[in-house]
Amino acid sequence: MNLVLDFAAPLVFAALGGVLSERAGVVNIGLEGMMRFGAFGAAAGSIASGSPWIGLACGGLAGAAAAGVHALLSLRFRANQVVSGIALNLVAFGLVTYLLQSIFGSSGVSPPAPALPRDRFGHSALAYAALVVPVIFHLWLSGTPAGLRVRAVGEHPHAAATLGVRVLPLRAACVLGSGVLAGIGGATLSVGILGQFDARMPAGQGFMALAAVVFGKWTPLGAAGAAFFFAAADAVQRHLSLTLHAADLRLDGLFLALPYALTLVVLALGIGRTRAPAADGVPYDPEGRT
Amino acid sequence: MPDLRARLFTPARDPSWGAAAALLASFVVSFVAMAVTGRDAVAGFGHLFSGAFGGPGPLGETALKASILILTGLSVAVALIVGLFNIGAEGQLIWGALAAAMVGRLDVPGVMPLALMGAAVAGGLWGLIAGWLKVHRGVHEVISTILLNWIAIHVIQGWLVPGPLAAAASSAQVNVAGTEAIQRAAWLPRLWPGTRLDLGFPLALLIAFAVWFLLARTRRGFEWRAVGAGRDAAHAAGIPAGRRICEGMALSGALAGVGGALLILGTEHRYPGVFRTGYGFDGIAVALVGGGSAAGTAAAAVVFGALRAGATRLQLVGIHPSFAELTQGLAVLLVAAPRLFQPLLTRLRARSAPPVPP
Repeated sequence: MNLVLDFAAPLVFAALGGVLSERAGVVNIGLEGMMRFGAFGAAAGSIASGSPWIGLACGGLAGAAAAGVHALLSLRFRANQVVSGIALNLVAFGLVTYLLQSIFGSSGVSPPAPALPRDRFGHSALAYAALVVPVIFHLWLSGTPAGLRVRAVGEHPHAAATLGVRVLPLRAACVLGSGVLAGIGGATLSVGILGQFDARMPAGQGFMALAAVVFGKWTPLGAAGAAFFFAAADAVQRHLSLTLHAADLRLDGLFLALPYALTLVVLALGIGRTRAPAADGVPYDPEGRT
Repeated sequence: MPDLRARLFTPARDPSWGAAAALLASFVVSFVAMAVTGRDAVAGFGHLFSGAFGGPGPLGETALKASILILTGLSVAVALIVGLFNIGAEGQLIWGALAAAMVGRLDVPGVMPLALMGAAVAGGLWGLIAGWLKVHRGVHEVISTILLNWIAIHVIQGWLVPGPLAAAASSAQVNVAGTEAIQRAAWLPRLWPGTRLDLGFPLALLIAFAVWFLLARTRRGFEWRAVGAGRDAAHAAGIPAGRRICEGMALSGALAGVGGALLILGTEHRYPGVFRTGYGFDGIAVALVGGGSAAGTAAAAVVFGALRAGATRLQLVGIHPSFAELTQGLAVLLVAAPRLFQPLLTRLRARSAPPVPP
């Protein structure tokens, strides 16, 4: 049970990042790359400054920098948002591996980085933040004027524009915010849990966060709930493989596939309202009519 | 419904120039990145080049890698033709690889073509799932193919290969064994002594030609393009759009599956215990830089194949081979935003060509 909170935290932050970007109408396949930059930035910042909190901030900033590229390409230059996200993931993989080797002289792991302090249950503050932030995010998105504007530019940007909302700057801000959240998700892996950066990070967690966004129907509480559910499945799998010798049966692969398979089934059966925001992925053209 | 390919490619009026400019720019940026981080960039690019083209061995490696990339690139390109963005070539590729590794063990005559066919069927079925979900359940293919990738990776590499299909544990190779080795008769014959160049490269080129012919010269190809250009209009013209989308995705998956088979039958000779390919994901880059056409895809595959082959020698100057991913990602970023180059291209054209009378 203790594991669930630790497993869930990175997914929760990244999934909230996905919700923020997609509710504003920008598809974010680049969560994986943003998490990778965040994880590395946090470890590097923590090692350089000696303070894991500064490291955490660096992680958020690194995620935002990656998101800045996505925002620039998909909003300013109207690149296809899926392509831009894929390219970001490729660049993140190559560049971070290169930086890891250039700065720390290793292609495997960074030196140990000062990690965030843990309480007596072994959790860092980030694990508890993963419980609180989704609620705050939900209240902000559904109950404040700013949240309403975000939802408006994601559903019908032209209607929002006629009411005086500046669509592109708002979308850019949401993509940057998405990068901060995904970066913090990555930082949770490096300075929150492991205490160093591993070249394999985030090992597909960005894509699992994307699945959580869809499974959670593009809502903050839904996505966070899905992240906790996926983390629980992961924890059960590890528990089973330790206790029941399930490793002999090799069921761990099936357990790992479960979150993705369930998301696909939910989508295929159309359970509930599984609809993306109406303008998700559609570039905003101020002169266009729809 | 706007044409997906139009949205991806139109803004550069001359896509091959746009792609060439993007490739060149990505190499320049990579060079600068290497130089500013204190590496000997000239030596690095020298190794990159000699690792890709310097002699028979490197040329064979380039062709070997290009042949897989041609197939995964075509996989993505064919899906784009029917208007779908197939992110799932990686999953389709490893299903094809597994099928080739299983069929390749059979002691029957003609096992090699059978293994290729098995791979095409396995990859095709995995691709068909995404097509079917799109047409009948309205599930966006980008989401479904990402999910299908991870399902395939975990089911095959986390369960089937180390579990039910694992080779009987022999003393020396317990952990890295993978599945049982395939029959010798299923190996792709090597074409150039002293290199690893095998039958896969001419086969991939032949398939690229066949795909071009199918798309450009047959009725079915025309219908696929019509569906990709506008599903509703094609439907109104009497083309069964849903069926055509499913067919396109099945072909897309089959192409990626054959790419997986080339890896198994050509070099691995079994489904290995550790199998990190990335060829499926790189296929997206290949198809996008190649402008979505068969010839462009083959050309881009050779460039990226050379990059992959050359990158292994970057270790000589202490740079991880994944540097190639950086260059490739930059190329995609730049191709994705043709508007970056538009002012430059317009200026060049204005200077070189006399104004065309209206």
